Amino acid sequence: MASTVIGAGITVDGEITTDEDVVVAGTVRGKLTAKEGVTIEHGATVEADVAGASLTVAGSLTGNVTASERVDLQSGARVIGNVKAARVTIADGAQFKGNVDMDI
Amino acid sequence: MAQARTSSPSVDAEPARIGSGARVRGRIHGEGDLVVEGQVEGDLAIRGELTVAEGASVTSGAIEARSVTIAGALEGDVAATGTVRLVAGSRVRGNLRGSSVAIDDGARFSGRLDCEFDLPPELGGTSPRGEVRGRTAARR
Repeated sequence: MASTVIGAGITVDGEITTDEDVVVAGTVRGKLTAKEGVTIEHGATVEADVAGASLTVAGSLTGNVTASERVDLQSGARVIGNVKAARVTIADGAQFKGNVDMDI
Repeated sequence: MAQARTSSPSVDAEPARIGSGARVRGRIHGEGDLVVEGQVEGDLAIRGELTVAEGASVTSGAIEARSVTIAGALEGDVAATGTVRLVAGSRVRGNLRGSSVAIDDGARFSGRLDCEFDLPPELGGTSPRGEVRGRTAARR
């Protein structure tokens, strides 16, 4: 089963729903729901609520995030929104504004 | 993995792809090639090659691309600057426009074809456009 890759030059205005994982190198505006991992690469722009098993962010994300497993904000990430996941890491150099709910 | 903060948007080595388990509802546009293996409902405007793979389905009002190759199901109007190709097994309903249109044996198509071409002078060709209307179904 192939994964979904939103290439660097591509913009999706709308909803993406997938059973698999997603890599966003371009722009997504709307809603993104994956059953597996979501990766937002450096240079990508996501303005959407994102749901997935795990989320790795190195780019720009504005929206609420729900992950069943973990969320990792890498250096260079810029996230504005609420994060809900069992495990969260925010690397030095990541920028974040929002609530973190680890459901404790 | 260290990367420069400002990176010009170059064409990525990894081609853009809507995976087989994915469904997109909305508009997809931009630079670069795109392979659709899943389901897309909405308009597509790609400055590159668009491939609708076998098993994929695209339902759209308007599809624009440099070239379009369809092996799956597509409903909508297609406008390509280059070639539109319907491969065996494809099911297409809509109007196709391109510099050339190819319909392989085994493709199923219903709609209008619109190609730009010059008739040779011996056929009195001054008309730069040829239009074929009607229903075409090449059945296996």
